[in-house]
Amino acid sequence: MSDAEQPAESETHDHHDHDHEGPGYATPQAAIEEAEPEQTAYVMGLHVGQDVDAPDFLAVVDVDPDSDTYSEIVNRVQMPNKGDELHHFGWNACSSSCHMEGLERRHLVIPGQRSSRIHIVDTKERRDPELTKVIEPEEVYDHDLSAPHTVHCIPDGEILISMLGDADGDLPGGFLELNDDFEVQGRWDPPGEIEMNYDYWYQPRQNVMLSTEWAAPKTYYPGFDLDDVEDGKYGQRLNFWDWEAGTVEQTIDLGEDGLIPLEARFLHTPESTHGYVGAALSSNIIHFHESDGKYHAEPVIEFDDREHEGWDMPVPALVTDILISMDDRYLFGSNWLHGEVWMYDISDPSNPRKADSISIGGYFGDIEQVQGRDTVAGPQMLQLSLDGERLYWTTSLFSSWDNQFFPEEAENGSVMLKADVDPRTGTMSLDRDFLVDFGDLPEGPARAHEIRWPDGDCTSDVWQ
Amino acid sequence: MTEVLLDWQDSERTETISVPAGETILDAAAATDIGLPFGCRTGACGTCTARLLSGDVVHHRPPRALKDRHLADGYVLLCIAEPTTDTHLAVGATVQSELVPNPWK
Ligand code: FES
Repeated sequence: MSDAEQPAESETHDHHDHDHEGPGYATPQAAIEEAEPEQTAYVMGLHVGQDVDAPDFLAVVDVDPDSDTYSEIVNRVQMPNKGDELHHFGWNACSSSCHMEGLERRHLVIPGQRSSRIHIVDTKERRDPELTKVIEPEEVYDHDLSAPHTVHCIPDGEILISMLGDADGDLPGGFLELNDDFEVQGRWDPPGEIEMNYDYWYQPRQNVMLSTEWAAPKTYYPGFDLDDVEDGKYGQRLNFWDWEAGTVEQTIDLGEDGLIPLEARFLHTPESTHGYVGAALSSNIIHFHESDGKYHAEPVIEFDDREHEGWDMPVPALVTDILISMDDRYLFGSNWLHGEVWMYDISDPSNPRKADSISIGGYFGDIEQVQGRDTVAGPQMLQLSLDGERLYWTTSLFSSWDNQFFPEEAENGSVMLKADVDPRTGTMSLDRDFLVDFGDLPEGPARAHEIRWPDGDCTSDVWQ
Repeated sequence: MTEVLLDWQDSERTETISVPAGETILDAAAATDIGLPFGCRTGACGTCTARLLSGDVVHHRPPRALKDRHLADGYVLLCIAEPTTDTHLAVGATVQSELVPNPWK
């Protein structure tokens, strides 16, 4: 079952003589030039936190405009247990394993955020993937970890998963490592390096990894309570690691500017030390980069709170996802509560320039109808085509937070939407022909969360 | 063995189950093919939150997902709760969403 049965002899990495044998693309530019337009999307589908007595599932969505089943869920892989809260997921291999001959980008690693169960799905048949292995929560708890979040393959066929809590759903979190046979290898980090955890991204050529902070699972699981913010239970720090040593070298406390720093994205160019983090509660985009041997971070985009008629307090935008186009030209993001998708030109990374935005209606703006269907909640998880011309998004954040802010999501289910992007002019337009309705499934309405392409994507591929 | 009356808050549905000593309400419901919402099964996530209308339960582990105010209001976690008397509970996914209101509203 290993994807790395005949690994190449270990070799020093020479990028001027790049003998590209492994999975993925030799460079980000090669990904743009060589990738076919996406035809299939894998999307997390959830029933957790609803009165729908069914397990969560992996949805296979047809995104091929020439197909009869375009914008439909054409297949689903149901998980064996209920209550997982499938959330983020990743590949067993990406372009960072470019020298691993015999390794394929083929297996999806799909954790359950609430259950701490980890599923392995084989996508050899793209439209007919198959669940091949389940790691039960007890095996995860044995390493005093719970609440798996971000999955990245790391070079040599191994897989690293950020874990937000200890076995009791309390702090500290850490990282769990799986080997190329999808067996739990153990804990990757020396315990105690960080308190809180969430997303992470690594830039191997700079020997750096960045991890961000949500909160203890027991804090964010039940819903968002402002008292917890006041009590300092939510994160506001960026942790920069020595990637090889697995130790934290520098921590930046962002203070009020960086409350709940979630998605971390380095530029795709492997030499770059620039990147961005979306601070969800502060509604800021933080730009970071290295100079003089240290990382620096400051807000470069700030979204103002907005007054909502009949509500007591101004409502923050809540930036819940960001992504960088494969050519490092644009930063896209979603303001979940304000209901907006936006794109900024980041040709000068310290000075992003607004290019365009689309309001689909969250709590502000008009609730868009697409194909006669109300969008119900704001835009949330994003995914961009490798060529940067099609942006897709779903609308569910997290079951208990959805129930708190957009309760209709539980009754009507999520939608997946799409905008056409013109990278030349820096504009987006909502594609009114494209709608995937997760509200209309046999067991009942479902939420939809993260999106991935079989051939790698802007939020998972890393280059060595 | 205690009797537990499950009362779905959002519908007319009710069910009565018997819970053997040492077992949780969530497990006893599942054993009779009654699906109740759950997530972590360790008392951390609150997905299984129910509200006690009458009777008493003990939690097998600390109910981490519930704050003192929730416990005072009679919220319980069915994944780790064992009834000590005959019990009447409000159940269903909407009970969980009462724990934390929208702070800006
Ligand atoms: S299922 Fe998570 S607290 Fe009961």
